[in-house]
Amino acid sequence: MSIRQGLLALLAQEPMYGARLRSEFEDRTGGTWPLNVGQVYTTLTRLERDGLVEVSGRPDAEGRIAYRLTDAGRAEVTRWWSTPVDRDSTPRDELAIKLALAVTVPGVDVQRVVQTQRTATLRHLQDLTRLKSRNDPAGVPRHELAWQLVLENLVYAAEGEVRWLDHVEASLARAAVGRREETRQRDVREADRGDGADASAEGHPGTSEGGREAHGIPATSRRRRR
Amino acid sequence: MSASAGAPLLELIRVSRVHGEGATEVHALTDVSLQVGVGELVAVMGPSGSGKSTLLNLAGGLDRPTTGQVRIDGRDVAGLSHRGLAELRRRKVGFVFQDLNLIPSLTAAENAALPLELDGVGVRQARASALESLGSVGVAELADRFPEEMSGGQQQRVAIARALVGERRLVLADEPTGALDSHTGESVLRVLRARCDEGASGLLVTHEARHAAWADRVVFLRDGVVVDTTGAPPAAEELLDHPSGV
Repeated sequence: MSIRQGLLALLAQEPMYGARLRSEFEDRTGGTWPLNVGQVYTTLTRLERDGLVEVSGRPDAEGRIAYRLTDAGRAEVTRWWSTPVDRDSTPRDELAIKLALAVTVPGVDVQRVVQTQRTATLRHLQDLTRLKSRNDPAGVPRHELAWQLVLENLVYAAEGEVRWLDHVEASLARAAVGRREETRQRDVREADRGDGADASAEGHPGTSEGGREAHGIPATSRRRRR
Repeated sequence: MSASAGAPLLELIRVSRVHGEGATEVHALTDVSLQVGVGELVAVMGPSGSGKSTLLNLAGGLDRPTTGQVRIDGRDVAGLSHRGLAELRRRKVGFVFQDLNLIPSLTAAENAALPLELDGVGVRQARASALESLGSVGVAELADRFPEEMSGGQQQRVAIARALVGERRLVLADEPTGALDSHTGESVLRVLRARCDEGASGLLVTHEARHAAWADRVVFLRDGVVVDTTGAPPAAEELLDHPSGV
């Protein structure tokens, strides 16, 4: 599953120790997929065994060991970002986790991640539609109807995924516009400061959550817990 | 048909379309290349403002590119007079829009026969071709009905019949299922797919993934640029040109 990929993606940002990886992972995915520290350390041990991470420096004052990516680990992260989620072997949640991390880990071309996935999902949808087109919906026997309905279920899921990806893309575009506007307003305020205006009293929305808002995730949804 | 075997019926070669100039210049399409072969259905997807409609207008010879070439059935649109272009459109290209496709005062058969009659084909022969075309989309029995006596899905079928009447082989469809419920929309797509399987060529603009999925290829447009296509699977190196990580 994607814990492994998720931890690698986080370590691409900077070396971290287990407890911090756990809190970063939960924080960025809105606490929707809670991890326990044991899972994190087991995964780290396997990643180390597989040569994807290594211990980074000495333990800190509290005895915590930080891990960092090896070159092979970095290559694995790059591969994860650049390939679509494998529908056969992983639960769909991996896509949501992947996007949650993509918008928070610096340096990821999120738009590209979205587009790569959308193309793959559309291709999947084309395959389903080809299967569907072999049958005429009118006058099919009952077992054929059941098969058609199962196909439709898969079609709806794929369609929903594409619509969600469209939404992600639109949200990113809106967030980018918001960031530009924020910068512009700050510049205006700084210019006003010379006139004795109290810039801090304006209480600009969004700045209290700082970088989080800037990544396009509303603070409220990120705090959602089960 | 004048198109030689295997030659694309519609070809856009590095097409750009710029509206206005100077400070108000808008790049509606940039360097778009696209082919629709015989028997092929190609879908174009993209957010509003991505250039889908501009692409369709260029493909149908309703608009001309700022740079690049549009070839319909092997003929470069740029080399044609206004009159020559109108004739090419009439003979080769049919449009299907979201709604209001049919002329309300004409029956289904008269609507479908119209492009032929405008082209000088005799009434009797035009009607025979129209009936044949209506039959090919499964609405032969509606020939003498007026648009208001038909359902939305039936009207769209008649519009497809008109788009592909006589020798016409290229249908350009702009959200043809936009006004229909999902079942009816799907039946219209099935008809379009079937006509392409029988040798027509189609370019379909839609924002619905489930409809685009009936196409052989899906092209994604964003800000006037083709960002991806479901044609051949993308090469890994192509995807890796943007560094991830820090």
